Order: sequence, then structure tokens, then C-alpha cells
Amino acid sequence: MERVAVLGAGMTRFMRRAQETGKELAWEAARMALDEAGLTLKDVECVALVSAPDAFDGVHMKGEYLADGAGATRKPFMRSFVGGGSGVFAIIHGWYHVASGHFDTCLVVAEEKMSSTMPHPQAAFNTIYDQFTERPLGVNLLWIFALEMNRYMQVHKIPLETIAQVSVKNKLNGLDHPCHQEGITPGPDLTVKDVLDSEIMVWPVHRLMVSPVTDGAAALVLASERVAKRMTDKPVWIEGVGWHLDSSYWTNRDLYYPKYVEYAARMAYRMAGITDPRKEIHVVEPYDPFAYKELHHLEGLLLADKGEAPRLLEKGVFNRDGELPSCPSGGLLGVGNPIAAAGTMKVAEIFWQLRGEAGARQVARPVKRGLAQAWGDLMQVGTVVVLGR
Amino acid sequence: MLVGKIDRVGRIRTLHGDMGVWHKYTFGLAGERFFRALAEKGVLLATRCETCRKTYLPPKIYCPTCFAELTVWVELPPRGYVETYTFLYEDLEENRLTEPVAVAFVTFPGVEGGIIHRLGEVRPEEVCSGLEVEAVLAAERSGGLQDILYFRPSRE
Repeated sequence: MERVAVLGAGMTRFMRRAQETGKELAWEAARMALDEAGLTLKDVECVALVSAPDAFDGVHMKGEYLADGAGATRKPFMRSFVGGGSGVFAIIHGWYHVASGHFDTCLVVAEEKMSSTMPHPQAAFNTIYDQFTERPLGVNLLWIFALEMNRYMQVHKIPLETIAQVSVKNKLNGLDHPCHQEGITPGPDLTVKDVLDSEIMVWPVHRLMVSPVTDGAAALVLASERVAKRMTDKPVWIEGVGWHLDSSYWTNRDLYYPKYVEYAARMAYRMAGITDPRKEIHVVEPYDPFAYKELHHLEGLLLADKGEAPRLLEKGVFNRDGELPSCPSGGLLGVGNPIAAAGTMKVAEIFWQLRGEAGARQVARPVKRGLAQAWGDLMQVGTVVVLGR
Repeated sequence: MLVGKIDRVGRIRTLHGDMGVWHKYTFGLAGERFFRALAEKGVLLATRCETCRKTYLPPKIYCPTCFAELTVWVELPPRGYVETYTFLYEDLEENRLTEPVAVAFVTFPGVEGGIIHRLGEVRPEEVCSGLEVEAVLAAERSGGLQDILYFRPSRE
């Protein structure tokens, strides 16, 4: 199996309503990643693309539609898809292409244009549920999150204030991200009280605990060791990848703990030779479409005991200057949530953190190894990548 | 077993539903300029990559071959050529059309891509590959492909 490096990352500004087409967004991110890698489209041997439901862009066969903006014209091209988990699955999918020895370079592109969907993307989400048992109730994603959040809070007796603290941390972190969605953070003096005072959408979920609807794209350039050594003296390696599915019946799993994230993490840790993740992972980007999800996922990633993440958050462990900085990018709550592209943005953040290129977002502690995780599909997929230098 | 199920097909209950979404598509940076030019000036624009020596129709803001940003816009000549064509005998709902409708892929010399559109003011037997055609524009244009009514054999 070939070693695989990340040579460059790129992303568009995350936006509420982009004028650009999905192809144009894909091109902007892909071009930036190539420029950063010092490569041109000619050097790209294959393209790995992710994008979430076709219903968002309103284009069936969206992968093929996006292909020329993703640089895939007349190249081996493949689209993979695990809903919200796609953004981290993208690098796993790209890793396969290069690790197999079949390609020396792979351009990984993630795109989402959610603003095309009317009246709201949540209407499309209704159709991921069973036509007979759940859809007639008018179910959307917020319901699931609310039920899961409540279960998580009840099992561990977590106060709502602590969950609101995640929103504050991430939304303030996001202010330092040049690509953050305008208006995603009400202001630099955001408090827990502001979050709790924001309107209840589906109890106990408040408006400022939810990531917004976003358009955007992100991209990565992967290369074999041969190419990486020629192109850079500070390669970032893909040390571990993992992914896992749970039952797609959300009634058939205990919502308080994401076991599928744990299994995905264990797979990635095994591959990376990590035995004590709390010591060996130095910076982490867990998926945070909702505030409680960051804590939920940190536990699934074995970076905190079950029910311990809220207490570590209160102690400041997950701050940028903490022992285990979490979502230094600002995450989905602070940068934006273009579904598939959001996870790839997280991988890009770990890449920039490891290279010491995260600017105002650079974490205080030295970092040699980081992890990005995404989640989604029918709320039962975990995708994990460990990067190291 | 299977046949038994098929026999009962009329008695199988179904639940009617739809995806419940519709879409607002933006034209994009290139599309916005292309359709504005068509509406306001009645011309077709393309973008050119000087490095690859390629001109793209419909125009793109990037070269799909080398990924350069494209900033050179060119106006296409008024006449194009039928590359290939077909005749439609049924509409989307399989209704028989009273007259077959001629549809062609129209290309322009030196340009990558082209436009698929209807042909008009032409007898079916006149249609052939290589036929020189020109766009007939709507008097009132709103910035969409319907601003071109059809292509017809060009009149010198």
C-alpha cells in the first residue's frame, strides 16, 4: 500500500446564496488547492468528488454535472456519497485511489449548493425517511437532532448552558476564518445567554445551536510519496482512515452515543498505530452541525469518556489554547455548513493546522497529528481521517 | 408466487407523495453574462482560453482543460452549422405531434461546444449536416434560451 500525502487545500467563501453555479464553486476551490500544491490540472491523474443529495442543486447525476468544474474532463472520475459524512469520506475515497498504487495524484473536490432548494432544503430531507412511518408526520432533520440531543442531555444530565457554550466557542472561532458565512456569528461579544435567548426551533434546539444553509466548495490535492517528496519539504500524511455505518432505523440504536463514530475512529487509530488517542491526537475537527454534536462526537472518537466531553468543554480543554483544541476553524456553526463541503473544510483545517498555516486560527499547542470527522447519511455514518506530519 | 402478486396488482394500495421541493437556479457568473448579452444585444458570447487556444460555448469562467480563469469574451459570428439533427414525432408525454419538429446541434467554426435548438423555416428534406443556419431571435427577450426562437437556413 502506498503512503499518501496531502499537498494542498482550497475552499470558496461559504455563502448563504451564491451567484456561482455549483461547477463554478467547485472550480474555485479545486484551483486554489492545486495552486497551493504547486500542481496544475495536467498533473492530476484522477478526480474524487463528493456532493450530497441531488435534490439540493436540483440536478440529477450531479456528479457528472459538476465534473468539468472539478477538473475531471477526460480523466478517471468517481463520485461517492454518504450524505453529511461525504466531506471526510472524500479524502478516504481519494486515499484509495493513490494508496492502491494506481494513481500518483488525485484531486478531491466537495461541492454543495443548498440555496437552490425551495422552499427549504429541509423539505428534501423529509424524503430520506420512511414514506409510511415517519414522512406523514412532516419529519425533518431538526426532529432527529432534537430527540438525540435530549437523550444525550438526559443520560448524562448535561445543562443546556453547556451545549450553548459550544455555539459560543465555535462561532467566535469562525470569526477568524476568512471563508466564514456572513452573519453566522451575531457578533464578537456573543454569550451563552444570547444562544439561550435565540428562538427555540425544535426543543431543546435553539436557533444559534444550528448550522445554517450554505453554498460552498472545498478541495484537497493528494499525492503518492514519490510526488510528495518532490513537491514539498513539509508533507502532511494520511495516517489513518475509518468509516462505519449503524442501522439506518434511528429507532434501533441508542441515540445517546454514536457507536458508529467509535468504530470508524478505532479503524483509523489502528491504521495510524494510535493506542492512546487522547495523547496522540493534538487537534481535532469533529462534525458540529448542531452544538451538542461536537461533544457527542468527541466521546465517540474516544477523546473523552461518555458524558465527560461537556465537563472538559467547561474547563476550556477544547479552546484554541486548550489541551485538545476542537473545531479551531469555527466548524459548521462558525464557518458554515455546505453539507458535503463542510467535512472537507474540516480536513483542510487540520492540514493547515499541521503545516502551521492556520493564521489567526492556529492553535497554541504544537501539533503533529490531527483528526477530522464527519457524520450524516441517515444520521448513522461516521467518517474519520487522521493526518500527521 | 410472483405471478400471483402481479394478478393482485389492482388491489395493492399505494401512497401518493412527492419530493416537495422546487428550485431556483442561478445562471452563474458566465451564464449571467451570456444570457444578458443575448437579451440586451441579441448576440452569442463565448470565452476563450489563450493557452489552450480553445473557445467555449456555452462560455465558462474557467478552462476545463487547463483550469485557467477565462476573462477573454468573444462574440460569435451570426452564422453556425448543423452538426447533427433529428425530428421529434412525440412530445414529452408521448403525444403525437401534428408536425415533426426538427432539432439540431449547431456549432460555430473554431468553437468547442455549441447549442442544441429547434430548426424553423425549413422543409424537412432541406435539413442536412453542414447546413448553414442563423438564429431567429424573439422580439421581446428576457434572458434565457427561449430568446432564440429557432435556427433557420441562413439568408445571404
